[in-house]
Amino acid sequence: MDTQLLISGVIFGLSIGSVFFLLAIGLSLCFGLMRIISLDQLLYYAIGAYITYALFRSTGSVWIGVLGGMVISGLVAFGVERFIFLRIYERDITFTMIASFGILIAGVGAIKYVWGLAPLPVPSPIGAMATILGTEIPVYRLVVIVISILVYVGIWAFLNKTITGKAIRAGIEDIEHVEGLGINVYKLFTTTFIIAGVLSGLAGGLHAPLIMVDPQMGLEVLPFVFMVVIIGGLGSIKGTLVSAFIVGQVISLGAIIYGPLAQMAPFAIMLLILLIKPTGLYGSKLLKR
Amino acid sequence: MPTDELLVVDDLNVAYGESKVLFDVSIHIRANEIVSCVGRNGAGKSTLLKTIGGFIKPTTGSIMFANTSLVGIKSYNIAKMGLKYIPQDKKVFSDLTVRENLELGSYATQDYNWDKVTEYFPKLKSLMERKAGYLSGGERQMLMIGRALLGDPQVLLVDEPTEGLAPSIVTQLQNVFLELSKKTALVIVEQNLSLVSAISERVYAVKEGRVVHEISDESDIKSNVCEQFL
Repeated sequence: MDTQLLISGVIFGLSIGSVFFLLAIGLSLCFGLMRIISLDQLLYYAIGAYITYALFRSTGSVWIGVLGGMVISGLVAFGVERFIFLRIYERDITFTMIASFGILIAGVGAIKYVWGLAPLPVPSPIGAMATILGTEIPVYRLVVIVISILVYVGIWAFLNKTITGKAIRAGIEDIEHVEGLGINVYKLFTTTFIIAGVLSGLAGGLHAPLIMVDPQMGLEVLPFVFMVVIIGGLGSIKGTLVSAFIVGQVISLGAIIYGPLAQMAPFAIMLLILLIKPTGLYGSKLLKR
Repeated sequence: MPTDELLVVDDLNVAYGESKVLFDVSIHIRANEIVSCVGRNGAGKSTLLKTIGGFIKPTTGSIMFANTSLVGIKSYNIAKMGLKYIPQDKKVFSDLTVRENLELGSYATQDYNWDKVTEYFPKLKSLMERKAGYLSGGERQMLMIGRALLGDPQVLLVDEPTEGLAPSIVTQLQNVFLELSKKTALVIVEQNLSLVSAISERVYAVKEGRVVHEISDESDIKSNVCEQFL
């Protein structure tokens, strides 16, 4: 394989993996703590991208758009958690999953109503190119990778160094024991849901300049994000990062080797990993409800 | 009914779906009293403690704690009010250190005076930085009781605390419970009758979801009258 093609493929895979990580981390935390499969995170991802587009059109700055996308996604996530999930946390996991899918579909409909069906372009905020081992790489893709690693460090610090983060980690192990200590677990749920929504919005905003923004964009990444969460292990942040980069590389390098592999190979990798380690790479056997 | 009752459970009925588990259960606990509940596995003892702790909603009946009804109150608020449930599974937060486990115990009530914990369980002092998942069964039980003590609860609901523990640890826990009862009332579900007879001031015998006997005579408790209910 051509070295230049390989290097650009690896960087492409890392940047795609970074977006998957930002999106999957919310799903993983929501399942780990609240035992809900929060498909509506894909809506906040689309909202992040559309707000980035809209604010870029009005201010001329993609970065302002990304920040605005994070804020609006976080606010929508907060509203959804307060008005819908708070009432159904106690219900069966399939009930909450169907409810979240309903929210996603309704949200996609609202996006179509506001912005139309046509895909919309968002330009890259950084046009510069960097040279790595003789290969020209868009700096923006490197920035996306760096941002996702910074988010990983930030989330790690939050979960390990703050009392709220420690309570969330404890809740992932056993929520009933956390309640037994007098800790209001519903506040933890809300905090986690907002963090997930903001990160999904960030994923959408950062991804927007790399793709065309369209109403179905959340549904298009759905299988890959699921794969990332499952391969990494439910509730594991480190696992989510590692598996996001694995899936990104498999898609990117698979496409270089043989086009259809980009779609097929990640599923094969997921099946292989689950056969060897059914809990995922970093999944805990302790998860219970 | 005496006026110094701290916790009064009256005509409590609990069901898991269609399956009824507790039938008209009535118990009462005074301040600084150790009350044990004995009975066979599946008699409903743990369900009783979980219901008092707010983890299970009763179908009918009342639970009064310091003249406040606990029915309908979330379990974390009940814990904050001073009534803490210590489950029998000895599940500590295994991914967190002993220190972090205690921090969570302090979080809700902002009581960071850990001296009272290490006073009862000095061993925890040397284990502060150890992940709780690596503790022995006895150490886990110490940690669970220790973190429940933070916030100075008025009642501790302790579910089978000595199950699977070495005799030396059981003796240590026995002394701790006696010491704790100077400040706190304890409701203990236990199958270890020697512990029950050594620490209990009253005993409720639970059979098939009903309280079938209340033993308050000290000589009856000491003479292992409860054995017939196991």
